[in-house]
Amino acid sequence: MLQLRELQKTFFAGTPNEVRALRGVSLQIEEGSFVTVIGTNGSGKSTLLNAVAGSFFADGGAITIAGRDVTRWPEHRRAAMIGRVFQNPFSGTAPTMTVSENLALAARRGLARGLGSLLPVRLQNELRDRVATLNMQLETRMHNPIGTLSGGQRQALTLLMATWRRPELLLLDEHTAALDPKSADQIVRLTERIVSQHRLTTLMVTHSMQQAATLGDRIVMMNQGLILADYAGTLRRHIRAEDLVRRFDEIRRDEQLDASAAEMLRENYV
Amino acid sequence: MTLLLSAWTIGLILSLLALGIYISYRVFKFADITADGSITFGAAVAAAMLTHGRHPLAASGAAFVAGALAGTCTGVLHTRFKINQLLSGILVMTALYSINLHVMGQSNLPLLSATTLATYAQDLGRWISGHDSATLMGWPVSARDLGSLLLAAAIVLVIAAILWLFFNTNLGSAMRASGDNEQMIRALGVSVGNMIVIGLAIANGLVAFAGALLAQYQGFADVQMGIGMIVWGLASVIIGRALIGSDSVGAALTGTILGSVLFRLIIALALRWGLNPNDLKLVTAIFVFAALVLPSAMQKVRRHAAAS
Repeated sequence: MLQLRELQKTFFAGTPNEVRALRGVSLQIEEGSFVTVIGTNGSGKSTLLNAVAGSFFADGGAITIAGRDVTRWPEHRRAAMIGRVFQNPFSGTAPTMTVSENLALAARRGLARGLGSLLPVRLQNELRDRVATLNMQLETRMHNPIGTLSGGQRQALTLLMATWRRPELLLLDEHTAALDPKSADQIVRLTERIVSQHRLTTLMVTHSMQQAATLGDRIVMMNQGLILADYAGTLRRHIRAEDLVRRFDEIRRDEQLDASAAEMLRENYV
Repeated sequence: MTLLLSAWTIGLILSLLALGIYISYRVFKFADITADGSITFGAAVAAAMLTHGRHPLAASGAAFVAGALAGTCTGVLHTRFKINQLLSGILVMTALYSINLHVMGQSNLPLLSATTLATYAQDLGRWISGHDSATLMGWPVSARDLGSLLLAAAIVLVIAAILWLFFNTNLGSAMRASGDNEQMIRALGVSVGNMIVIGLAIANGLVAFAGALLAQYQGFADVQMGIGMIVWGLASVIIGRALIGSDSVGAALTGTILGSVLFRLIIALALRWGLNPNDLKLVTAIFVFAALVLPSAMQKVRRHAAAS
């Protein structure tokens, strides 16, 4: 479904602030699988997601979605195949527009937008019915500006919007990180339900080992712009959050060791 | 009474300009100074066609198209060539100055002998009142003034209705969303650049159309008539926002039209009470400055008062 080949991205190239965010990442995701991506800050996990979504073009490598090479496609064109939920709950909705209007905009993701009515009566009924399935009492607030809703409510609606038309690929970028624990829990359960219901191919970035260990059927661990570990199948089924934390501690120790070893070598031999 | 009537009429005509500024400034948060050039462009195109004996409706329609082209240029400069918003507008506005002179052939083009929409307005006024002068609430007014007011009101009503319908279509809503949250609408498959270009085309089309109507109402087109018009439009939009205070499309459109009429009435009264016409633009600029700054300043004062 999704294929990344030797993906590279460097920010601020040629300046003292140069960051090599992706150093040749290759990854293949099967249709219908739910992959979580974990890593420390600056590991490149969010960059990876944004590269797939098309927020910027990669410096090297290729991206294929559902058999089509989208490497040079602009973001809005890729959106026909990709549903997206952002970390910031305010990023996924247009605040001054109503709940209905936001959902109706999402109902035409990737389709031509002409002079037809945005909210024909039949669509309005469908919108209300599907919002009711969220069990958040939002169906009574369809005509309120979506900006008057809480972060959790907006994130739930964004998730509904991203999957209104079945996307080939669902991208979730730490979409519960900015929410309070109760809302975050609610969104996690909603995510699980929607993904399994529609059998969506999903790539989810998270900072929470707990989430990574409980959600999805494959875990990709990133560090310094590279994929460090890839747990799938039986390996994935036996992994627990503690194992992931321990693995990260090992990485950190290795890095410190490298640094001190280099220091020692320099002192003794240079 | 004649003064009030003409203030109403000009207020309504310029409300089309204000609706254009509403689209660029409030829908897209784009300070589009092209308006200063495109209002004159519309007046110039309409005046040139009218003096060549073309039908007033054709001339006004051509003005809209001309303005839309100017807006497209600004949009393309900004979205394709990545030129700063304000600079894109300034470039097009400056270029339009020369183009307007070419279109008119001279710096001022009178329309005294041409058949214009004002001629129709006069016929309309005569038809309603039965003769050349009418009485409105006990005051004598000329049939031409009465007809102009009614015609302007009808045109504005129709255009506002079309805009309202448009902003509730799939395309119009995608435009509103582009101004509200770019990242969101891009993730839903919309090219924000294209939305800006189409939006600026419609906005400047309206502005140029207002210019065409204004030229026909006052009986001439002048190459200088556009100076400061964006500030006029902004003042109307801001007053409209204050009057209605809602972000829904219908409320914003109504507010903008009311704002334009109210602003023109205030100016007419101020002039009547002895404001020097030369100070008009200065006063308008100060007004818009105050309207932009006061809300946040008031908030700061209030927070200060609450804190102490």
